[in-house]
Amino acid sequence: MTAQTAPVTRPIPAPPSSPAPRRRRRKPNVFRSLSRTLIVLIVVVQVYPLAWLFLTSLRNEHDFATGDPFALPSSISFDNYVRAFQTGNLGQNILNSFIVTMGANLLIVLLGMMAAYALQVLGFRFSKFVRGLFLIGIIVPVQIALVPLFIDYSSVNLLDTYQSMIIPLAGFALPMSIYLFSSFFEYIPRETYEAASLDGAGPYRIFGLITLPLSTNTVVTVVLVNSIFIWNDFIFANTFVLSEGLKTIPLGLQNYIGAMGKVDWTATFAAVCITITPLLLVFLVLNKAMIQGLESGATKG
Amino acid sequence: MLPNRSRLSVLVFLLPPLLLYGVAVLFPILQSLFLSFFSWNGISDMEFVGFANYVRMLTGDSVFWHSFINALGYLAICLVLQLGGALFVASLLTSLRRGAGIIKTLYLLPAVISTVAIAFLFVRIYSIDPVGLLNQVLSWIGLGGLERPWLSDVNTVLAAVSGPEGWRFTGLYMLIIYAALLAVPQELEEAARLDGANQWQMFTKIRFPYIRPVWITTTIMATTYGLRGFDIPYLMTNGGPGQSSELLTTYMYKTAFTSTDFGYASTISVFIVIECLVAVGLILLMLKRKADA
Repeated sequence: MTAQTAPVTRPIPAPPSSPAPRRRRRKPNVFRSLSRTLIVLIVVVQVYPLAWLFLTSLRNEHDFATGDPFALPSSISFDNYVRAFQTGNLGQNILNSFIVTMGANLLIVLLGMMAAYALQVLGFRFSKFVRGLFLIGIIVPVQIALVPLFIDYSSVNLLDTYQSMIIPLAGFALPMSIYLFSSFFEYIPRETYEAASLDGAGPYRIFGLITLPLSTNTVVTVVLVNSIFIWNDFIFANTFVLSEGLKTIPLGLQNYIGAMGKVDWTATFAAVCITITPLLLVFLVLNKAMIQGLESGATKG
Repeated sequence: MLPNRSRLSVLVFLLPPLLLYGVAVLFPILQSLFLSFFSWNGISDMEFVGFANYVRMLTGDSVFWHSFINALGYLAICLVLQLGGALFVASLLTSLRRGAGIIKTLYLLPAVISTVAIAFLFVRIYSIDPVGLLNQVLSWIGLGGLERPWLSDVNTVLAAVSGPEGWRFTGLYMLIIYAALLAVPQELEEAARLDGANQWQMFTKIRFPYIRPVWITTTIMATTYGLRGFDIPYLMTNGGPGQSSELLTTYMYKTAFTSTDFGYASTISVFIVIECLVAVGLILLMLKRKADA
């Protein structure tokens, strides 16, 4: 990933019509310039809808309803943002998403680390079988849990709580977390543990004094990767949460669809922009760590 | 294995994760299996009906089969966009000397955005009044005849709801495949180039065989994610118009929470699980076979 060291301030590749000619004495390589043009084109297609989302959030309604969708806004107005805050409950939604993401991540990291420690470091007779059990959670779709959990929650009065979202989100993310921690624990040399054991440290002290402090990087990876999915979770929140005060961002955004399907689009897009900002900032700041995490999730298999 | 571990310590570390996993994942799977043999609306008494739900699903429910076919179409479009697109872009990126980092970041951007926001965005992109991005582009490049309300046309709606899902995650798979392609040893490529291999041979004979294990993983990931696709069709069209964009997942959801037919909904979700397991089995069978041959 040496390419990452390229200065970030470098302008985003020029429009496809002008693949910047390099001032180097090299034979023109048709294949290379063709692929460069294609890359730029694909990235534009990939990113343009998001740029459009942002531009639309700055348009006034008249401009939006009548204008050419590709044109720049005729005037920039922040009215939409004001209306976005008036219509919805954005602050509360963001807070709720934050609580759910934190709670689920805490469980995922702590329990994932513990299970991986038991499976990889301590080891026991049926560890293969337990690994197999956890594999099920990666393959099985989350929808299977909706009806049973809905019934179980209503019988123990957990419907419409933070926990009702946190439990399944953490449960379904646990296998991947265990897997990432296990593959990291493999790299900690046996001798470290044996030396600690000879010094009289039991499994708890070894966990607390050796395994835990060494795993910081993996913790960051696990948290970043899972946060994307948890922050944006729609299906569990939509099924288990009813009251306005507990709604997370994805549910809050739905409030912008008014009665009869009438939508204040520019305000909605402003709200969308506000709600994607926190995660987007984290992503842009930490994208190197996040990208490495996503890559390692699949390639270490 | 740690020398002085005790049986108790294993349990201390293993039980809490197993408990959460059991409550959230394992037990609900068994419960669904159990419920699928009952007829229950959540209020009255549960009534054991044996295999009646399964018989109804497989022989008497045209909506179910319609949704199943739709789900396969949805999956096919997602796989082409995600895996095909990812492999294509990743291969292109390897020819780049600089700037791969920023392109990876930009390409991954849609994965960070919530499905509700994406659904809003694409409803506008597909719209015809006021004219959305897609119809505008079509009229510019002289295909104005194709302009239509993509989401209310029964012939295009399935493709229209699959597109955003494909768009959203192609960056994720691209990252994984790109990382794998970078790991292909330079010596192998050099040797092939000296032997006069062209770009295409280089790809089919050297690179692709080398990344096959990663390709299997990403195919499984994309397939299981495609089969559990729910948010975007549910939010954009709610399965409509008619049943033309109904997937098994949205049908199951409506059966459970709109018609409150918990028993039958569980039967459908058992089917979805079996479908996922069969799909993963088939992928392993097909791709592993080829690797051995």
